[in-house]
Amino acid sequence: MAFGGGYFKTTYASDLALIDTRLRRVGLGLLIVSLLMLPRFASSFALDLVTQTALAAIGALALNLLTGLAGQVSLGHAGFIAAGAFTTAVLVEQRMPSPLLALPAAALVGAALGVIVGIPALRLKGLYLALGTLALHHVVLYACGEFQNHWGANTGVSIPPPRLGSWVLKGTIAWYYTLTAIAGLVLILSVNLQRSRAGRAWMAIRDREIAAESVGIDVARYKVLAFVWSSALTSVAGALFAYQRAFVSVEAFGFFLAIEYIAMVIIGGLGSALGAVLGAAFVTLLPYGIDAAVAALHVPGGAEYYLFPLKFGAFGLLMAAFLVLEPQGLVGIWRRARNWVVLWPLRYRPLRPAS
Amino acid sequence: MPRLALIFFAALLAVTTAVTPALAQYRIGMSAAITGPASSTYAPTYEAYKAYFKRVNDGGGLNGQKVEITYEDDRGEPQRAAANAKKLAEGSILMVNASTSATYKPFMTESETEKLPLLFGGGVCPREAFPPASPLIFCSTSFGSKWDSRFALGFIKEQATGKKAKVGFAAQDIPLSRIELEFAEQLAKEMGLEPIPVVVVPGNTPDFTPFAQKLKDAGADWVLSWALWHVEVGVFEALSRVGWQGSYLLYGHQQTQDELARLKAGHLYAFGGNTLFMENLPIHAEITNLVKGQTTHPPHYMAEGWVSAMVLEAGLKKCGWPCPKDKLATALASVSVDTRGLRGGPIEWTADNHYRKSTYYKVYRWDPSKNAIAPVGGWTRLEIK
Amino acid sequence: MTQVLATTVVVASLYALLAAGYVLVYRATRVLNLAQGDMMTLGGYFLFLVAATVPGRPVLSVVTAAVLSAAAGFAIYRLLMRPMAGHPIFAAVLVTVTLGILLRAAIVLVYTDRIRHPLPLLGLANPPRRLPGGAVVSTFDLLTVAAAAALFLGLFAFLRLSPLGIQMRAAGEKALLAAQRGINFQLLFALSWALAGFAGALAGILYANNVRLDPSLGILGLKAFAVALVGGLDSLGGVIPGALIVAAIEVLSVRYGDPLLADVSPFLCLLAMLLVRPWGLFGTREELERV
Repeated sequence: MAFGGGYFKTTYASDLALIDTRLRRVGLGLLIVSLLMLPRFASSFALDLVTQTALAAIGALALNLLTGLAGQVSLGHAGFIAAGAFTTAVLVEQRMPSPLLALPAAALVGAALGVIVGIPALRLKGLYLALGTLALHHVVLYACGEFQNHWGANTGVSIPPPRLGSWVLKGTIAWYYTLTAIAGLVLILSVNLQRSRAGRAWMAIRDREIAAESVGIDVARYKVLAFVWSSALTSVAGALFAYQRAFVSVEAFGFFLAIEYIAMVIIGGLGSALGAVLGAAFVTLLPYGIDAAVAALHVPGGAEYYLFPLKFGAFGLLMAAFLVLEPQGLVGIWRRARNWVVLWPLRYRPLRPAS
Repeated sequence: MPRLALIFFAALLAVTTAVTPALAQYRIGMSAAITGPASSTYAPTYEAYKAYFKRVNDGGGLNGQKVEITYEDDRGEPQRAAANAKKLAEGSILMVNASTSATYKPFMTESETEKLPLLFGGGVCPREAFPPASPLIFCSTSFGSKWDSRFALGFIKEQATGKKAKVGFAAQDIPLSRIELEFAEQLAKEMGLEPIPVVVVPGNTPDFTPFAQKLKDAGADWVLSWALWHVEVGVFEALSRVGWQGSYLLYGHQQTQDELARLKAGHLYAFGGNTLFMENLPIHAEITNLVKGQTTHPPHYMAEGWVSAMVLEAGLKKCGWPCPKDKLATALASVSVDTRGLRGGPIEWTADNHYRKSTYYKVYRWDPSKNAIAPVGGWTRLEIK
Repeated sequence: MTQVLATTVVVASLYALLAAGYVLVYRATRVLNLAQGDMMTLGGYFLFLVAATVPGRPVLSVVTAAVLSAAAGFAIYRLLMRPMAGHPIFAAVLVTVTLGILLRAAIVLVYTDRIRHPLPLLGLANPPRRLPGGAVVSTFDLLTVAAAAALFLGLFAFLRLSPLGIQMRAAGEKALLAAQRGINFQLLFALSWALAGFAGALAGILYANNVRLDPSLGILGLKAFAVALVGGLDSLGGVIPGALIVAAIEVLSVRYGDPLLADVSPFLCLLAMLLVRPWGLFGTREELERV
């Protein structure tokens, strides 16, 4: 962090630490305390919103890994979520509904799918890669649909609440704690991946593939690795999705879901873990915000007819606005805000003297 | 700019955590496919409820209390339905589902967890409403799984007058349509008809001709279709286009009256549980006058929702006040409603049977000689055991 | 057998009309317009709008709908795509996805999700027609084939023979050089978007009269982009064999295989093409390296 405060790192441990300054430690402590205390103050509905945001954030972080960090554009995200959810459904149908089995299984299935997608994806770049993943999304959904029709219950699979030993995960508060904790873990994982060798390799591949190759990075291996990591995490998100919704049906995983996740990373800010979380919060809360705004305006009866196209349209409009006007997304706005606060009353960072 | 963003965020968070206060009224929650591809079938139920209970509330309510219904749109999608179920379950004494069958499971799970009675008012009746009925699941919808096929095949057999008719089946690639028609295929064999394997049609296919061709080449005399309207009609139009000479029987949804008049085909038969408005019964005139200007769909789409609202009103009246959810469930389990001609007979529920004791079907078709829609015979009654 | 052939040609014509829009836009602005399906829906709804306002005037309705759609395409380029110049291509494609969302939301806001039928409002009928060989198609099926043929002939003539068309090709190939020659390439890009809107409108108008009109028709656009890719994203000539191949696979899988496979078969073709020959049957090879 280059704010020139004379703060030096003197041990390797402090260099590796994610949280280094006292202000950050205090901030993190406050955040954790407020998250722990939230169920006391917030309504069940609000808690549910935070839970949904956490779940979306897991998927968004996974997509950020692939698209933001490694630069591999993927429109097939919904297919990986479906894969995770249906793995859980298959296990439930086979009378093995334990999450201790389903989550690793989903991760394995996701990883396998990542390899299956990643290897042919080596041949494709940019637009063609996006289209290839889109086509693959349809194929995965077809497979899931066929499973649902032939082997699963035709009207979708009901997932019983997950139980670990004698403890059953039920109720808004329990889910809130669980998903927020898991989202936190995935966030740490994501940030650490970014700082790791693989993360640096991915960023190099994203920025200049040819240069990365010439420096000695095995582009093929790291690209496939990106797919594997991303799809494994996404599948785990899909399994959690299945448990939380208690219901799996192929209609829930259409193309629009993939667009929502893309919107999350783009609106949040491509390449940044914080961006993925902010984007997830934004996209998840937006429809409810519009609901509340319309309710507050007391639009006369028949509003239900307008609510959906309004929400849908607002989502599209905001996504387009971010793409056109603020390509760096919410993170860009956040960074500008932070710089403004830190630098006030000055406007610009001082120029460093040439050294 | 950054300040605006922060204010916007704060406002978004504040506004979404606002809590609505609870008042002393009959609080009902309804989730319907108000928008979305299936909306033309289910949105009229929502509109019928609004108009019906507005009249009830304007007349002073029931047992001195107003009926407050919270409406949520689920677009026929299970994910939204699950979210709606959680939202609506809070503080309600009953939930109504008027949406596609894909939305059922989350509602039934929520109903079971919260011990909340659940009324299916627009979509096909689930197994749990038939004897032996689950204590909390009720269904007022005119069409019912398996019973529709029993009637339809009976009708086809009757029309075939002794000849062993070859029956084709056109299903949509949604689970309930496939299950129903696969059951029908099995039943046809048992009833002495000659079934052709079910042809499954994806909902968004651009051209129904290949599917129609398959049915025509198999030599179908009759084709039975039970799906969303656009698939039922799409296959029919394609069959007509390729010069098929047989007869087509489909389940008539809300659009039946308009579509029979548009298609003007004498070999298209639509069966259903609701009387078409062209019969101009007193109840039809009453509904038409009441919903004038209140609904976006024409009055003759309101039959299904109207019957459902009548049943709910009867249940609430019987429950009295105060009416906690368990009392309402008991009250509904003994309700008996005269549908005044909208259906072929009354809706009677017992502790064991939350569908109805007898169900009635009628068939309509466009009569080229009269240049109008005409019923084919009268009501057929099937006892539900 | 002839019926299968007839159905294939009809379905291929519809896909070709849509894919022409993709190719036109891609050649000019190097963007894959994933909103093409929704532009087709828009064209259908323009037709419905005019037909509902002044019923019984088919020629007026069709022409007005086509002109309005072309204008919409023009406006879309000026307002949405031009500010995206310089952004990465993926972002531009996403903007087209959001455009599709916006178009769909606008249509549903005005017209709800009800299925509409403009045909009776236009005062036309759609009787079946018997072809030599025993196949039967509807009148509008034949019109779709005729429209596709006319559009492609027209486009070929325009792009190869007329000065404006040659300028459009030049601008699409090397915008900088074209600008240095004094060609107003921004106007030409806008024109190609307008043409794409027109092609989509044709598809939408014909489909709305032939089958039905509802806001979810855009999904056909997704199938058609597989056609465009199979033929080659920048090759108008490739669209025709691409459309025929994809339509044939779809129709044959319904007749002789699993009908649900028909839904996913365009994407299987797409995947196969991407793995074997990403630039399509007739696309220019360097497209792969360029993106």
